Amino acid sequence: MLETYLPIFLLLCVSTAAGGGLYLLSKFLGRKTTDSQYMDTPYECGIEPVGTTKERFPIKFYLIAILFIVFDIEVVFMYPWAVVYRKLALFGFIEMLVFIGILVVGYIYILKRGALKWD
Amino acid sequence: MDIPLLSLMIFTPLAGMVFLMFLKQEQVKIIRYSSAAFSFIPLVLSFLMLGEYDWTTSQLQFVEKAIWIPSLSVNYSLGADGLSVPMLFLTALLSFISIVASFGISHRVKEYFAFFLLLEVGMMGVFAALDFFLFYVFWEVMLVPMYFLIGIWGGPRKIYAAIKFFLYTLFGSIFMLVGILLLYFNTEPHTLDIMELIKMGPAFGKDLQIMVWAFFFIAFAIKVPVFPFHTWLPDAHVEAPTAVSVILAGVLLKMGTYGILRISFPMLPFGTNYFSLLLAVLGVIGIIYGALVSMAQKDLKKLVAYSSVSHMGYCLLGMSVFFVGADGKAFITGLSGCVFQMFSHGLITGALFLLVGVLYDRAHTREIEAFGGLWTKIPVYGSLMTFFAMASLGLPGLSGFISEFLVFVGGFARYPVLTGIAVIGVVLTAGYMLRMVQKMFLGQFNVRWEGLTEINAREIFTIAPLAILTLAVGIYPKPLANLMAATLENIVTLVNR
Amino acid sequence: MEFPQIDYVAILPEIIICGLALLIMLFAAFLPRDRRWITGHIAWFGIIVASFAVWMNWGTDTRTFAGMYSIDLFSSVLKLIFLLGSLLVVFMSENYIRLHKLEAGEYYALIIFSLFGMMMMASAADLVVFFVGLEIMSVALYVLAGFRRSDPKSNESSLKYFLLGAFATGFIVLGIAFVFGAVGTTSIAQMFDPQQYTLANSFFYLMVGGGLLLIGLAFKLASFPFHMWVPDVYEGAPTAVTAFMSSGPKAAAIAVLARVFVVAFGQHITQLSPMFWSLSVLTMFTGNLIAISQTNIKRMLAYSSIAHAGYMLIAFATGTAEAVNSVVFYLLTYTVMNLGAFMVLLVVEGKEDGDNEITSFTGLGRRHPFLGAAMTLFLISLAGIPPTAGFAGKFFLFKAAVAKGQIPLVVIAVINSLISVYYYLRVVVVMFMIDTQTEFRPVSYPAFLYVALVVAVLGTIVLGVFPTSFFPFDIPLLASGR
Repeated sequence: MLETYLPIFLLLCVSTAAGGGLYLLSKFLGRKTTDSQYMDTPYECGIEPVGTTKERFPIKFYLIAILFIVFDIEVVFMYPWAVVYRKLALFGFIEMLVFIGILVVGYIYILKRGALKWD
Repeated sequence: MDIPLLSLMIFTPLAGMVFLMFLKQEQVKIIRYSSAAFSFIPLVLSFLMLGEYDWTTSQLQFVEKAIWIPSLSVNYSLGADGLSVPMLFLTALLSFISIVASFGISHRVKEYFAFFLLLEVGMMGVFAALDFFLFYVFWEVMLVPMYFLIGIWGGPRKIYAAIKFFLYTLFGSIFMLVGILLLYFNTEPHTLDIMELIKMGPAFGKDLQIMVWAFFFIAFAIKVPVFPFHTWLPDAHVEAPTAVSVILAGVLLKMGTYGILRISFPMLPFGTNYFSLLLAVLGVIGIIYGALVSMAQKDLKKLVAYSSVSHMGYCLLGMSVFFVGADGKAFITGLSGCVFQMFSHGLITGALFLLVGVLYDRAHTREIEAFGGLWTKIPVYGSLMTFFAMASLGLPGLSGFISEFLVFVGGFARYPVLTGIAVIGVVLTAGYMLRMVQKMFLGQFNVRWEGLTEINAREIFTIAPLAILTLAVGIYPKPLANLMAATLENIVTLVNR
Repeated sequence: MEFPQIDYVAILPEIIICGLALLIMLFAAFLPRDRRWITGHIAWFGIIVASFAVWMNWGTDTRTFAGMYSIDLFSSVLKLIFLLGSLLVVFMSENYIRLHKLEAGEYYALIIFSLFGMMMMASAADLVVFFVGLEIMSVALYVLAGFRRSDPKSNESSLKYFLLGAFATGFIVLGIAFVFGAVGTTSIAQMFDPQQYTLANSFFYLMVGGGLLLIGLAFKLASFPFHMWVPDVYEGAPTAVTAFMSSGPKAAAIAVLARVFVVAFGQHITQLSPMFWSLSVLTMFTGNLIAISQTNIKRMLAYSSIAHAGYMLIAFATGTAEAVNSVVFYLLTYTVMNLGAFMVLLVVEGKEDGDNEITSFTGLGRRHPFLGAAMTLFLISLAGIPPTAGFAGKFFLFKAAVAKGQIPLVVIAVINSLISVYYYLRVVVVMFMIDTQTEFRPVSYPAFLYVALVVAVLGTIVLGVFPTSFFPFDIPLLASGR
């Protein structure tokens, strides 16, 4: 039973070794700078780590994000369907049309209600 | 008989209620007279029924049967025998009288009479139903209009009294429902037909009988009301409008004793025998306790209300004595005392409440102490009040005496000591009734009541039939006794199976 | 490969309802704002058509979608109950939407989607189908609860409902996983076949799975101790939605409970009975006792709905086919009388926002006798007093329980009915018995609402007087396949 999980265990070992090894390598091989104001910040690329938490995003971002998820999931459903498409033949095709049809109704709806309009 | 007499009696008031709904709130006169007419029809029909009734047999008469809910084997079945005929008559009479007596109602008239007619439907139905389901439905149907009648048209504490009445009665009746279901499942094939269940009576197991009897008794005892369950009564009776008090005392209380005699007795003979002593003890407690509390009352209506507790105690004592004598004849003295008391208490207490209402309408107080020497001012009223007070305390020649006498004769046959104690109740009743008459009508005239007017014709019209019947039953009880004898003998035989 | 066997005629009602919801969405998208009320008419018309489709399939007993979807008498009866409930809700919403200026198209679409989910639940013969139906129903309801976007209470209601509902869903999924792990199938009919056990202690895992499923369903049913969300959600949600929430999802949850716990776990009813027994008792007492102290009528009805869930659970403590039949009948009566009470509430509420105090009913009986009488009828029916539908429902339920010897439970239930009378009558008291100086605020008489009200009144009376004429009391449970 447990041996079936061996690849996962191996993957775990390899990834730990890789991550840890790289870290240790940079520790040993890298140049050691001790006093730099940038080294003490979380992001060394220059982004201010402290800012106001009350920053507001337009709700449209959320809306687009959630709509993206909906249609993204739609595509996810298409993968298994595509794999067995040959076996399902015409029936599978029609079923997928129904499925997409339902989502198209949703798409038309959001389009008409202006959910995708940015202004 | 071809016409469905009982159905007509039950549903004429319902038709009346529907008719009232189409009238306008302002058409007060039409509302009053039409509802009186609709309640008069059952009264006429009940006379017809009295005429047609064959008292020589205990068979159910005027039977009607129709399939209602086949899967439950529930039928719409009605019938009447010597026990229900007097009650149906009493109900029809008191309903009509109460509706006439309510002509003074001026507040939300239409609703009042509609509820009153609905109430009559429920009461009639309870006394005529021969199917448990139907019986239960009517038993509950009655609650709602009664609740409204007390709650809308009652006295100062009407809402409290109405809710208390409703909850108490419902508390009892849900136990009855459980009891009904228990019986239903212990019969094969399952049936809810009261007559079928009575036939199977002795076949029920002893534990089952005791349990179901107790469940039924809770329901019926609350309605009667028997001593520990009586506390709703003074509130409801006192707060209710006059006509409703009449119905409460005259008809509703009888449903409890009717239920015990109609259902518990023949259906659960073992349970009945098992609990018969309890019936007697509770009856005697009720008699003495009710009388003592009545003595302490300052309010006239409360006095009459508590006297009901006392008087219904006689019913219980009377019904607790049932046996088949050595000669094979059923001993029905106690039972007929009970039924006589049911009938005469309905007449007498109904009349007393009407009279209290008459006085209250004029004086707006019911304090006994506030009156005095009224006889000089309103002699007709005074004599009617005295007449019914005498009837209530059991003056020979009036119906109260017959029933109490029969109860005591019956009681001595089995519970001499208890009956001996109960006799004290008569003395106590005499005490408070006479004291009431003396304080109100004799002695120094209280000038405050200079403007008091005499009882009017309509009020006399409502009280006269009750007075006549009280006198008639008191002097010549034989017809009533004949009416129920066969049925009661049958009940006693059934209990002693 | 040829087409799989799918009985399209049998699932016609679902197809109609799903198509209806999509159609309404399209209408909502294309119609101009002031014409969107048309969607309401499409909705009720579609529901009636779907009801005919159910009627057409009356008596079919078939399983389709590889046995995952069962169309039998049980599901048909439940579907008719859902359709009736939704029809009444659509009728009563018409005026509400106009008064509160809500988006008509979305509203009806969501109601119909939710209805679709319920219908799936009623027919589910497989836990996965049940789960999909449950989610379709719930997600639509989460949105509906927050439909009055500008009202913070409505937002609160929606969020609470969503969070707790999602939490409950988690339990259900976990439960399904356990069941699947234990028996290797999610088919309700095969779940309890010992031959299916895949593990040594399959039975244990199956019971764990069943317990988790019960937790999830108890949430939807609003049973103790998962009832916390009910009052807040009911109070905050738009009144018409509250009406819908209090009848439909409950019925759907009961349907699944019946399939899972009476059919699948049926052999183990003796082990399960004490659990349902205690759930039922606790739910009844919680609902009824807390309802007494409520001053807001929506909250009171919320607690009363908890109490009714308790009565319904009696059927599962009993666990016979007769008990399930009577609980389905109970659902029908509850739908009619409960929606009726909400209809009166809608009329009384009128345009006022959030004023649902019991005192707002003061004098209703005087000013509007029909409304007062109707409300009284619904309340005494909820309390279970004959000759109303509520009494008939309780009678059959108690009868089934007594037949199985559940006498203490029935006694507790009748005592609870008694407690409930107290708070139901309080509304009657303020309607009829308190005289008020102030005029009762004028109410409008929207036609559709009144049609629905008359239907509810007639239903409450007719179901009470002739219960067996309108309901088949011999529904087999999952007849085919087991």
